[in-house]
Parts: sequence; structure tokens; C-alpha cells
Amino acid sequence: MTAEAGVQSQRSRPVGRTHRSGVVTGLAPLALLLVVWEVVGSPDSPFYPAPSSWWPALFTRGQDEDIIPAILDTSRTFGLGLSVATLVGVGVGIGVGVSVRADRAFGPMFEFARAVPPAALVPVATLLLGFDETMKIVVVVMAAVWPIMLNTRAGIRAIDPIRLDMARSLRMSPSRTVGRVLLPSVTPAVLLGVRVATPVALVITLLVEYLTGVNGLGALVGDAQRTFQPARVYALIVIAGLISLAVNSLIRSIEQRIRRLHLGG
Amino acid sequence: MKALNLAGVGVLLVAAGLWEVVVQAQLGDLQFLPAPSEIASAARQAVADGELLGRTIHTLVVTLLGWGMASVAGLGLGLALGLSDRAYRYSMTSFEVTRAIPPITFVPAALLIFGFSLKMELVLVVFGGVWPVLVNTIGGVHAVRPELHDVGEMLRLNKLAKVRKVVLPAALPAVVVGLRLALSLCLVLAIVAEMVGNPEGIGNGLIAARQALQPALMFVYVLAAGLLGVALNALFRGAVRLLFPSGSANEERVW
Repeated sequence: MTAEAGVQSQRSRPVGRTHRSGVVTGLAPLALLLVVWEVVGSPDSPFYPAPSSWWPALFTRGQDEDIIPAILDTSRTFGLGLSVATLVGVGVGIGVGVSVRADRAFGPMFEFARAVPPAALVPVATLLLGFDETMKIVVVVMAAVWPIMLNTRAGIRAIDPIRLDMARSLRMSPSRTVGRVLLPSVTPAVLLGVRVATPVALVITLLVEYLTGVNGLGALVGDAQRTFQPARVYALIVIAGLISLAVNSLIRSIEQRIRRLHLGG
Repeated sequence: MKALNLAGVGVLLVAAGLWEVVVQAQLGDLQFLPAPSEIASAARQAVADGELLGRTIHTLVVTLLGWGMASVAGLGLGLALGLSDRAYRYSMTSFEVTRAIPPITFVPAALLIFGFSLKMELVLVVFGGVWPVLVNTIGGVHAVRPELHDVGEMLRLNKLAKVRKVVLPAALPAVVVGLRLALSLCLVLAIVAEMVGNPEGIGNGLIAARQALQPALMFVYVLAAGLLGVALNALFRGAVRLLFPSGSANEERVW
């Protein structure tokens, strides 16, 4: 009742003024920066090579065939890491969401594990697991699992107790209760968690690759830096940025689609 | 005062005990996994020779310094973009695009430009930390209710007074969230910068211990990094509670 009233009042009276970002006009400062950079910078500058030299730098001296496999490697680690993080996060989130006792018991351990910066885990992971795909995925999961788990837990807590009472009075088995009541009710919260975890997973994938040199875009940037190819570094930064923009908008549209499907509107 | 979480402490102790048993009994192929007792003795030594303290202080100082600079820059820029629709229209997309680039990929560029130095570490920390503050400040300013702006007009406040007395207090909860996000991000970036660039602090301690094949010492630094994260977060929450006792800027605690 009160929630509906709140939504209505928000609809009839928009909060704040409208703020139009202006996609094209908003790019003006960045474009200006690049133009100035192009004019001032020279292609051989060790620090600020002109933007026009970036793209060719991707395809020089037998390095032209590295890009696509690197992008695929990064995508695979990112995709697998995010998937595993979602499975683990939803599982553990439901566990500590349903049982207050489990929440209190494991809370301090989770809180500490969450506070450890993922970068600090990389040397440990390489020492214990070696330099391979598994190590990369483990580190990504360790970083990306928290938003998903916390949102799932909050989603479980927010479920109307009447729904659970309903399941009980219908004598649903625990597994049926999870499948028919808990999971559907918690879907929007999980989606939010996955959306928050997506950029985290991507950044950590690049970080692991950069720190360990195990395949992917991150390793490629590291190589370019260690061999003093600044133009190549900037070109790879642009590619990483574009991928990040694409992934974020993709995940947002997927989230919206599922949400619409889920709410039936 | 909250009662001590006995169950939570118990689980931690049991986990450490299991870990010790597994390593001592050599179950499985874990030749590089140190037992908690070894980590404890490595920690005692690192504390005794002052290495741990020195490195922790370095990381702490750089994190706080970078966070302070990022906060000032993010708050100033955020207020400007939040208050002026024209500035917002003519620059926001640029910031969105730049923000989307993972800060990690700037590490190599920063290394090329600034070399292995404290400056490189600071630049990276500030660059990464500024975004949450900026985005949350803009969001907070935009969410200020129009009635409040009207009140400011009615009281004939000048621009500065309006920002100070109306806009900032109303935007505060969002800004506080941005500041907190930025703080943990700054710590992460400081440690990354120390691992690959500036050879000091906790990050370098990790790498040095890794290369010296001293896994116990490495775990000491991982623990130090985690504890520093927990401590900074707790300090931040405490400071917010102290400065804004009304609770408007307080968030619900997670655990």
C-alpha cells in the first residue's frame, strides 16, 4: 500500500530536474584532448605518442596476430570466472540468507576474505596453483563473488514471509521451496549482483593477466610496456575500454530483458 | 554494544585448526602451503624486525594521501558538473568513456611515463579513486529535490551559501557512499602499484616474499592487506558516525 503510493508520487512529480547528457556534445572534451595530443605529440615520443600512431602499432613486427587470441583468452577467463562466481555467490547467498545462524558463523570469515585486495591474492594463487587458466579463474571468482552473494542474501531477507508460509502450508519439500519460491523471488537481487560483479570480474581478469603474464589482453599490455612500445600500450588501453563499455551495456540490457520477462510487464 | 560473535570466532578458529592439520599431515600435494603456525612465526619475525610496520605505514600513507586528493578532485568536479547543466552536457560522456577503461590498464602507461616511483603510485591511486566520488557526487546533487532549491531561492541565499547549506547536506549520503568505495579502491590500487611499480609497501613485500620463496611471509602480507582493508573501512564508518550523528549519512552495516 505505502510502497505503491510512493511509486505514484514519484511518477507524478519527478525528483530533481531532468539532466540530458548529450552523447555527442559530451564527447567534446575527450575529442579536444585527442586533437591537441595529435598536434603536440610525435609518433616516436616515449611517453605520449600521437593517437594516429596507436592503431598501426597493434599490427607491427609480427605482433599483428596476437590481438584476437588475446581478446578470446580474456573473454574466456572473464566469462568462466563470472559464471562460477554467480553459481557460488547464489548458493552461499541463499545459505546465509536463509539461516541466521550460518550467517553469524561465517560472517566474520567472509568479511575478512572480502577485505583482502584481489591483487594480493595473485602471488598466493600462482604459488599454490601455478601459472594457468585455473589460477586466473580462481582469482576472478574470489573478487567477483561478493556482490553476487551479498545481493542474493539481501534478496532472501527481503522475501515476504507470507510466501514462505504459503510454501509450508502447501507442504512443499525443501528443494521445491528453493526452486519454486526462493529462486524466483530472489532473481532481481541476483541480477543486480551480477551487474555489479561484471566490471569487477573484467578488471580482475586484466589484472591477473597483467601481473602473471598468462595470456590475454592484460599480458599483452604488460609485454608492450616492458618492451617500451607506448603506442601499443595506448592502443590496447583503448581496446580494453571499448570491451569494458560493450560488456557493461550488454549486461545491462540482458538484466533489463530478464527483469521485464520476470515481472511480466 | 553488540555481543561478541562467538560462532563467527569459532568458525575462524576451526578453519585455522583444519588448515594446520591438513598441512602437518601432508594431505594432498600442497608443498607451498604454509601452516598457520608457520605464518604466525613469520609474522612475529616480520613485526620484530620492523619490516611489516614500515611497509604497512607506507601503503597506509599513500592510500590516505591519494584518497584525499581523489576526494577533493572528485567532489569539486562532481559539484561543478552536478550544478551546471551546461558543463554536464558538454563533458559527461567523456568522463563516462574514460571511467569505463579499467584502471589496471593504466598501470603500464603510468609506468612508462613516471617510471618506478612514488609519483606513479600516487597518480594511479588518485586516478582510480576519483571516479566513485565524482559519479556519486553528481548523482547526489542531481537527486536534490527541487523544493530544496526553491527554499534556497526564497531565503535569498547567494550561490556559495546555497551550495554549502542546501546542496551539500542533501547530497551528503550519496557522497559518503562514493568516498567509502573510493577508499577501498585506493588501497587496492596502491597495492597493485607497489607490486609492479614503486618497490615499497605491502605490495612489494608480497612480491619479494614470493620471489624469495617464503610463502609464510607472503601470507603475512596478505593478512596485513586484509586487516588494513578492514581497519580503514571501520575507521571510515566510525568517522562518519562521529561527524554526522544524525544518521542521515550512515549506511546499514553489512555484517
